[in-house]
Amino acid sequence: MSNEIWVVADLTIGGDVRKVTFEALSEARRKLVGKLGGQLCGVLIGSGVSALASELGKYGAEKVYVVENELLKDYTPEAYTVALSELIKKHNPYIVLAGNTSVSQDFLPRVAARAEAGLAVDCIDLDLTDDKRLVVKRYKYSAKSIATVEFLDYKPMMATIRPNVFKPEEDAKNPEVVSESVEIKPEVIWTKIVEVRRKESPRPELTEADRIVSGGRGLGSGENFKLIFELADAIGAAAGASRAAVDSGFVPYEMQVGQTGKVVSPTLYIAIGISGSIQHFAGMGSSKVIVAINKDPDAPIFQKCDYGIVGDLFEIVPVLTEEFKKLLAQQ
Amino acid sequence: MRIVVIVRQTPDTEAKIKVAPSGDTIDTEGIKWIVNPYDEFAIEEAIRIKEKLGKGEVILITMGPARCIEALRTGLAMGADNAIHIKDESFAFTDPYALAKVIAQEIKNLGEINLVLTGKKMIDEETGQVGIHVAEELGIPHVAIVTKVELSSDLTKVTCQKEIEGGQMVVEVPLPALITCERGLNEPRYASLPGIMKAKKKPVKEVTIDNINLEALGLTKEALGPAGARFRVTKLEVPQIQRRLRILKGKQQDMVKGDEVAEAVRELVRLLREEAKVI
Repeated sequence: MSNEIWVVADLTIGGDVRKVTFEALSEARRKLVGKLGGQLCGVLIGSGVSALASELGKYGAEKVYVVENELLKDYTPEAYTVALSELIKKHNPYIVLAGNTSVSQDFLPRVAARAEAGLAVDCIDLDLTDDKRLVVKRYKYSAKSIATVEFLDYKPMMATIRPNVFKPEEDAKNPEVVSESVEIKPEVIWTKIVEVRRKESPRPELTEADRIVSGGRGLGSGENFKLIFELADAIGAAAGASRAAVDSGFVPYEMQVGQTGKVVSPTLYIAIGISGSIQHFAGMGSSKVIVAINKDPDAPIFQKCDYGIVGDLFEIVPVLTEEFKKLLAQQ
Repeated sequence: MRIVVIVRQTPDTEAKIKVAPSGDTIDTEGIKWIVNPYDEFAIEEAIRIKEKLGKGEVILITMGPARCIEALRTGLAMGADNAIHIKDESFAFTDPYALAKVIAQEIKNLGEINLVLTGKKMIDEETGQVGIHVAEELGIPHVAIVTKVELSSDLTKVTCQKEIEGGQMVVEVPLPALITCERGLNEPRYASLPGIMKAKKKPVKEVTIDNINLEALGLTKEALGPAGARFRVTKLEVPQIQRRLRILKGKQQDMVKGDEVAEAVRELVRLLREEAKVI
């Protein structure tokens, strides 16, 4: 068993390293590497990805394993499972981390099963016990509670981290790049990709966004969401919605934040015309700063926000958008 | 077509969570239990496939304490044919690793099956890993976070639309396969009164801890309970995030009006910039 801590890089469809990978490298360095006396390593899986190794080095990876194969060009759970499982079998890492992205959530359960490893997903805190077992914190019961979860002594110990929780912090290293060839038989790939539809959105993705502006039923129509989009664009935010707004048909489900929508954790969350149900808070309650704009002074969101304005959103939001634009133009 | 649906019983989404005196689990006193909302989509989809084909069998499976029979009865009332309850009070604490191992073993015991459906995540444990782990144990493909399911006419393949970051994907996998269901897949039906009456007579097979071949799974009795198979919960807390609660209101009434609007907006921007330092 080695003392290596691995961070499996999460890539966008366009092939860039996601910010959450840097967050995982940074937090592993701060909280785990010293205590374990281990080495921080990055893992790149794909085709033509070796050039990304230096980016992982920028955030402290001393070594980067690169598994490249033509069959890893497009993501399939089967090929990625083989690639990472074989790598784990060969090098026996102590801890394997990744971002809690749709890709990692999709294939890491298979990898953990093959490695007979525990996998804790969506962690918001990482640490080691005195006897060097991974201990994490994660939400349970719709974000209404936080569990401390201690791994038993089986290795590797695997965990995914929630995006936007840990601070990415550069620590430039010139990583040793280890190219690994893993045999992937084409017949093990069951998944046939028929079509990939990328959304051409000028705005950041909800789950990764640092700022989010969300609208609720108070917007009254899909057309009025223009106010949300304009405010979002003024501050480079992603646009979200409450379940009520989605159920009313104002905007598509992919914008929904909450228990049965996306779970987000931005620095700034602006909720407009959203009453603030328990279910909505299950999706955004861990935001660092919450702002509410609502005409109902008794809306539950005013009990759980940092800043709020009681008033008509149709009067307030355009003024707020202009004020932000003015301010940011000065900077 | 034999379709298995993995079901979980979870606290109601509105339930207020209190920590039990032991400090590592919830106080279940007064909790209303429901079928995990995402599993409802799975049950509904299974029933729709059976209805469309005009034949087939929908089998529900759950692992949990005695109370979970209610979740199975709900699914049976919706239209599932029979159910398996892997039952023990200690199974309220089973970790995802052991859950997947045991559930997969029971599905294997069913012999030939064509499709396994479950929710994209369990809202109590807040993870979607169990279904995918089950697929791995069964040696079958999976498609996760699915919003559309279409079986090929010869029932050898399934085409699924799934949600990914920044878009959607359409993939095809051979059957048998496991699919995890996302909201938007369908609109789950309510159980009808005759459905509820019929559900009482539908067979529910009970599997107890002594019926599980633990050795073959590399597990122990203790590993299925709070001690955990790969990890255990040592503490549960209800987070107390201190919010600033700076609410700007109008002078005459709660709502800001007229000049107060611009004033409040300027004050909000100032606070975000100078106090919270987020702009």
